[in-house]
Amino acid sequence: MRIRVGIVLLLMLLSATISTANPGGKGDDIRSRDCAGSCHASSSSNGVSSANLSIELPDEIYAGLLMEIITSVGGVDVSSNNLVGMALLINSDGAKDLPANDGWEVITDPNGGVNNYVEISDSFSSQTSVNRSWTLRAPSSPGSYELYLAVQHGSQEGGIAMSGISDFVEVQVLTVPENLPQLSPEWKPINSRLIGEETTITLETMNTESATVELKNGAEISIIPVTDGKFTIPAAVNPGTVEWRVILEGEGPTQTSPWFRLTAQLPGWSVDETSLYVQGVALFLLGASLVMIQRPKEELIDKIYDNTNQVIAVEASIPELTFTQTSETVTEAPPIPPEGLPAGWTMEQWNYYGHEHLKSLEGGAV
Amino acid sequence: MISSPTLHVISTELTIGMFALSGVAFLLCLLQKGPLSREAVAHWALLGGLLATPFAILTGIDSAPGDGIDNPLLANKVLLSMTSAGLAIGVLVRRKWGGEADIRHACTGMISVGLMLTTAGMGGEYSRNETLLFFVPKETVLIFPIWASILLIILGIVIIAKSAIQHRVS
Repeated sequence: MRIRVGIVLLLMLLSATISTANPGGKGDDIRSRDCAGSCHASSSSNGVSSANLSIELPDEIYAGLLMEIITSVGGVDVSSNNLVGMALLINSDGAKDLPANDGWEVITDPNGGVNNYVEISDSFSSQTSVNRSWTLRAPSSPGSYELYLAVQHGSQEGGIAMSGISDFVEVQVLTVPENLPQLSPEWKPINSRLIGEETTITLETMNTESATVELKNGAEISIIPVTDGKFTIPAAVNPGTVEWRVILEGEGPTQTSPWFRLTAQLPGWSVDETSLYVQGVALFLLGASLVMIQRPKEELIDKIYDNTNQVIAVEASIPELTFTQTSETVTEAPPIPPEGLPAGWTMEQWNYYGHEHLKSLEGGAV
Repeated sequence: MISSPTLHVISTELTIGMFALSGVAFLLCLLQKGPLSREAVAHWALLGGLLATPFAILTGIDSAPGDGIDNPLLANKVLLSMTSAGLAIGVLVRRKWGGEADIRHACTGMISVGLMLTTAGMGGEYSRNETLLFFVPKETVLIFPIWASILLIILGIVIIAKSAIQHRVS
């Protein structure tokens, strides 16, 4: 029997596979490449991704101003959930590689957040290429910088976490020309809103005489008037993303901002937390009380603390002692000899020991 | 130093390990099989799991993304874990009061363990989007009106007080 159980256990162990750690993803976040999605597996046990990775930059990038880059992932088959984690990095060392280390700021990531690591679910395959747009604020110091695109994904066969990183892309950040119309360095776009709500956005600009907003909804581009630096994007009926950009005109060369994405979401799930916690306490007390009310029966308590029954049982098991009188005691006292009781004897002594006295006399003893 | 998620994994595995051991021992109590130590193991492991539970909850709250309870899974985790903890304490107190590990007692212990394991399974679904409990309607949260919850709290306190008084008298 033990051998069979051992064989079954051994087969179960041998049938186990080395699993990828997070097949469902880790979620968007600010992550270094070292733990960008496969925290349970060491990097040495990962496979090398065959994905073609590229980063497309705008022609001119000014220090401290907003810009848009396009990242591309193509030529790779991933796991069945079609999930790929993409990280925007500044080196391939796995340490101090966050864009913020060089002064980059993620204004809008492809999922509408502000993270350097995002997880994208799309039709990844060896024949297709998936593009995503990022809005960044360039470092405030002009100079030469590097950007990398790293990916994490599963494999079609499963079992191995694949990771890869692109070659570096050199980014020349230029000094901002004088009088260049621009958005204020402190200004940040709104990335998300609820369905059914109009969104009024206030622009903060510098060196700008007039601004025009273009709204892209699908393939259609419409112009939205800007009044006192404010404009309104109509409410969304369904979940989705609209894109808009602003064209700034002034004394300097006209500037066009990157496309900003505004994602309309359904209201998130919410609950009255007070009601929830009070109900939790209620269920706690109710659960405890319903068990405690099933008190042990009295006889059970007695059985534990009262040993009477055990004592009675033990006593019953002991054979009863019966006292039987011997024949000597049963027999009557011997007849008193004619010469009377021996000297000094009492009648009680004669009753008990008279027989022995007579026997001793018969035996010739004195 | 370790991060909150790692600490949560440690405390959760400690909690679930003890509850699982308790569940197996209660099953043996139900079947009346196995070593005589099964009753002691069931109750001591249950106590150990209960003691580790607050650490799992606190580290879980600390490591969860977002603010507050913004997911039905989290709400159900709160309700299930509280119910499980209540049943477990009831089982331990009843045992302390001299109750035997009969069929009803063992079943209650197993229900408590089952609820706690379900809670842990939902945590796995929340963090990794994977679960074996696909047949459990985890997206549905039953929230009582607050007056009903308060009524249940009063009822629970009354029952516990009555049970305690009866125990002292006897």
